[in-house]
Amino acid sequence: MNPSDSDASRFKSATTDRRGERDLDDLLVHVARGDQEAFEAVYDRLVGPVYGVTRRVLRDPSHSEEVTQEVLLEVWRTAARFDPAMGGAATWVMTIAHRRAIDRVRSTTAAADREHKTAEVHTPHDEVAEAVEASLDRERVRRCLEGLTDVQREAITLAYYGGHSYRQVSDLLKVTLGAIKTRIRDGLIRMRDCLGVS
Amino acid sequence: MPFLRHDMHSLSGAYALDALEAGAERDRFARHMSRCQSCASEVRGFREVATALAFAAAAEPPPELRDRVLAAAARTRQLPPEVRTHARPRRTRSWVPWLSGVVATASIVVAVLFGFAQAHTQQQLNQAQAENKAISLLLSSPQVTLLSRSTTKGGVATVVLAAARHQLVVVTNGLPALPAGRVYQLWLIGKTKIVSAGLLPAATSGRTAPVLASGVVKGDTLGLTVEPAPGSAQPTTKPILALPLPV
Repeated sequence: MNPSDSDASRFKSATTDRRGERDLDDLLVHVARGDQEAFEAVYDRLVGPVYGVTRRVLRDPSHSEEVTQEVLLEVWRTAARFDPAMGGAATWVMTIAHRRAIDRVRSTTAAADREHKTAEVHTPHDEVAEAVEASLDRERVRRCLEGLTDVQREAITLAYYGGHSYRQVSDLLKVTLGAIKTRIRDGLIRMRDCLGVS
Repeated sequence: MPFLRHDMHSLSGAYALDALEAGAERDRFARHMSRCQSCASEVRGFREVATALAFAAAAEPPPELRDRVLAAAARTRQLPPEVRTHARPRRTRSWVPWLSGVVATASIVVAVLFGFAQAHTQQQLNQAQAENKAISLLLSSPQVTLLSRSTTKGGVATVVLAAARHQLVVVTNGLPALPAGRVYQLWLIGKTKIVSAGLLPAATSGRTAPVLASGVVKGDTLGLTVEPAPGSAQPTTKPILALPLPV
């Protein structure tokens, strides 16, 4: 029913709360020095969203597990390359995760597998609905998504959760390429302001 | 197809969501971003939005994954902290079978690593990583052609062409040093138009780090000219290299 505190604070600390963000950054510094306990803590904090986003994009649970493992190993391996000046640790990790999932999806074999699963295509609204299970933070994201125009919201969720290129999004939504580019960007600007991202 | 600057900028959202397909457009935007501070910071902000979307989609993985990842980490060597001594064990390994077939391209690999050695800031490193990724994808594509030719001023340009991807990578060795204010610029010289394929980076020990050019089409010739810095929209001097590309 209600989201547990730990769930909410995990999201908060990893994405928005400045102090929490620094904690995660600190953890990564220790990970970079080979501290396995710090890595366990990073795993516990971030595996949920990493797995969640790869699962959304790839749909196949075993592919998602593989990619989640690859992502976390890359975090372990390249932690020394993380530069807090370039953005928070959570963002660094999620960027790796989403990119890996996309790479997997656009490689031919995975794409073929995925086509089967596309049969039960989620409409963009389902995507949104799925994204927003009970949690205060999910609620906040949901509210911000709802503040977008339909096309902005659909374009962003199809691109990010659906793993579609903006060309595919343009086909799916029957909106011109130029308009899709703009809708995605305008939508993200609104989301940024709504979420209070710097 | 030249992009208007304004067009380019509007791709920031799609880029941040990884919604640009690999290839010419994404490479162009990445290149554009390395010169455009406001684009880079916009992409950073959008990635934070994406992070919130990821957290909103959080899901519980199978519990046994934890032990598997921790055990794998314990066996995995970490990269050292300095940005200059870059090594990517995974990628290097994946190149090995391919390299054994085409030994000559070892020079490209050396040059790729060399590109990392030249990165002094995180931004340069990020860019080098992005480039490296694109280059390694190109090098690992099934059909590549290796071309090599001397320029009329001395020195050699080596090109790995992946016709199916419409991309090529160029490295050079031993080109004459240029006076201040001059740069080497690459061109794709087509039947009806000429497009810039980028500048050669400054050479160290006579070698230039690899340059990736996208959008190669049938009938293109790769040209190299000396241009006033920071490069020209169209070539202004006679090419010192004109290498027809078997696309």
